[in-house]
Amino acid sequence: MDLDEYRAGLDAWLEHHAEALAPAHEGKGTLDEQLAQIEKVKRLAFDAGWMRHGWPERVGGLGGSTLLRAYLQEAVTARDLVEPGLFSMQEVLAPTMIDFASPELGAIMVPRLLRGDETWCQGFSEPGTGSNLASLACRAVRDGDTWRVTGQKVWTSLAQYAERCVLLTRTGTVESAHRGITGLFVDMDSPGITVRPIEAVHGSEEFSEVFFDDVVVPAERMLGAEGQGWSVAMDLLPYERSTALWQRAAFLHRRLQQLLELAPADSLDPVRLGEVTQTLYAFRARSRATQHRMADGGTLGPETSIDKVLLATTEQAVFDLFADALAAELTTGDDPASSQWRAEFLYSRAASIYGGSSEIQRNIIARRLLDLGSDR
Amino acid sequence: MDGDDLALFERSLRAAVERRSSAELDHALDDLGWPDALRSDPQAAVSSLFALQGRAHATSDALTGVVADALGIDCDLDTGIVLPAAGRWAAPGRLEGRTLHVHGAALAAFASRSEALVVATAGDDVVAVTVPTASLPRRPVEGIDPWMGLQEIDARGLEATAVPQPVAEGWPAAVARAQLALAHELVGASRRMLELAREHALEREQFGRPIATFQAVRHRLADTLVAIETADALVDAAWLDGTARTAAMAKAVAGREARVASKHCQQVLAGIGFTAEHELHRHVRRVLVLDALFGTSKALTAALGAELAGSRRLPPLLPL
Ligand SMILES: Cc1cc2nc3c(=O)[nH]c(=O)nc-3n(C[C@H](O)[C@H](O)[C@H](O)COP(=O)(O)OP(=O)(O)OC[C@H]3O[C@@H](n4cnc5c(N)ncnc54)[C@H](O)[C@@H]3O)c2cc1C
Repeated sequence: MDLDEYRAGLDAWLEHHAEALAPAHEGKGTLDEQLAQIEKVKRLAFDAGWMRHGWPERVGGLGGSTLLRAYLQEAVTARDLVEPGLFSMQEVLAPTMIDFASPELGAIMVPRLLRGDETWCQGFSEPGTGSNLASLACRAVRDGDTWRVTGQKVWTSLAQYAERCVLLTRTGTVESAHRGITGLFVDMDSPGITVRPIEAVHGSEEFSEVFFDDVVVPAERMLGAEGQGWSVAMDLLPYERSTALWQRAAFLHRRLQQLLELAPADSLDPVRLGEVTQTLYAFRARSRATQHRMADGGTLGPETSIDKVLLATTEQAVFDLFADALAAELTTGDDPASSQWRAEFLYSRAASIYGGSSEIQRNIIARRLLDLGSDR
Repeated sequence: MDGDDLALFERSLRAAVERRSSAELDHALDDLGWPDALRSDPQAAVSSLFALQGRAHATSDALTGVVADALGIDCDLDTGIVLPAAGRWAAPGRLEGRTLHVHGAALAAFASRSEALVVATAGDDVVAVTVPTASLPRRPVEGIDPWMGLQEIDARGLEATAVPQPVAEGWPAAVARAQLALAHELVGASRRMLELAREHALEREQFGRPIATFQAVRHRLADTLVAIETADALVDAAWLDGTARTAAMAKAVAGREARVASKHCQQVLAGIGFTAEHELHRHVRRVLVLDALFGTSKALTAALGAELAGSRRLPPLLPL
């Protein structure tokens, strides 16, 4: 199916099933409600086929260009059907599963994620390991046909909801740095896993601490070979910095449009408004080129760091504009709409932190794209 | 143009742009068939030439060609076109009956043309009037970038004898094309500045190591690349979407980002970049002039903002 056909078909389907797809809750909803909504939308879209386009047939997909996936993300976001950040997690996790899990495992698991039967999480960061991912310490020790995992992860988005985790573990010595890391696909109901949700600044328990106490993971759950965990991370992060960003532009466009409708006359500085709009359109243009490169079979690499820096700039600029224009709603408004704007404003501050901070992106740009050599 | 044709075309353009300037470059462009390419594949012709021209700090009359082509006016080689004065994008002329007032600018080649085309508002209409070039008082502009060879034109109360030709929608289309060309040139100049700053950062040693090892320097250069790619992406999108509004956005972003690039690169090149001998300052100067032609970044941005605040309606997003 080509993009135009898909677009027309999906738009018509979304229109026709608007009632069934609409969220049961009003406003932003609680995290529970947001996730229930995402599961519902995914299931309906999967069963109707729309969610399967753009994914390989060996993982339950219907094949076709990855552009179809990008359009699905955009279409449901533009209609305000799902919480965009949480919805895009499949675009971060599934491609890496497809690249690194054994074909049997991928074939069983990926459809469950796409259909909304399961939620997955990404266990990379640790209390002592944020930007310096290669220093991670959560240990996995080989024991016959299994790995035994002991350690801690933190800021793991949706861990308390997740059935599975894409986990990075230390299997070599600590000095082995990025060479001694192994990726595992872990069942979150395994004995020895404790999940403690953390309340984030925007009022949602979006992420958790995850403790591993001698957790047994079968060896066939390895992602790639032993010691290949760094490749898993390097494969995954560009998706987090590119595919997943496409629908973010659609989300920001919708919110900026709503801000335009809401803002009292003269509360928007025209120069700032013009600048923010230009930045959003440039971000969209950049992301579009990335989607097309991927659809044409290109691999995503360090150039996606530019997309990520641009996302952070754009998202924060949109919500800064809101904060300037609607200061009362931001600071003292307690109605659902104000609470939602406030939560999104606060969440926008994380755009320069998650998925590799803006400083880390600049380091990558300097080393990999500008070829400036090592920084020491 | 297909891939091979385009590569060949770009190679020839590169040679022409690097070795020649102004009149010579115009001849070389004619020989290369650039005016034909402009007609048959405007995006390829404009994007490749103007990016190279920006990179090389070269000048040509190509912008006039772009405006003429977009106006759909077949002006012969002996006709120059008056461009809007620095900072403006409205038609440079105003026609009252048969009396013409002109406030505009022109490129170097203008002086050698015998006739000049002035796009002018006439009440609610936009028309093109041809006048003898000699009748237009010109001031050669020194300004911040004397190498650009700009002329300033100010004429009040000329008598227009030729019959005005209607251009209607032609003027916004011409402005949009010119803005895209200038945006490519700004991106080209920015890329050159980044090249210069990058080479310097790798060669220059302080505290016993190349300054490229210092994160403050690396991040300035990284931000410069982000700025350039941001502008470049929007310029490409503007060709795709074809609207005057996106072209103006692309020009505004390219101008703003080129000034970001100037600032960072000048800081990294420090003392050596502050010498007249070093290439950098020419680009810094050129960027300011290119930003001013067909609307500064600031003015275009304010105009967009005012329009959006008025309509309360964002333009549609570029589709996938
Ligand atoms: C909303 C949200 C969701 C998240 N979800 C997940 C998830 O699902 N899974 C997961 O694994 N992680 C997740 N994270 C964690 C995220 O990946 C880390 O917060 C991020 O990598 C930064 O690590 P840190 O917080 O430890 O900051 P640090 O690494 O301690 O950095 C602190 C500051 O120092 C700067 N800094 C650090 N190193 C350098 C350097 N070399 N050069 C210049 N500056 C530097 C950083 O840019 C930052 O400004 C999430 C975070 C947030 C905010």
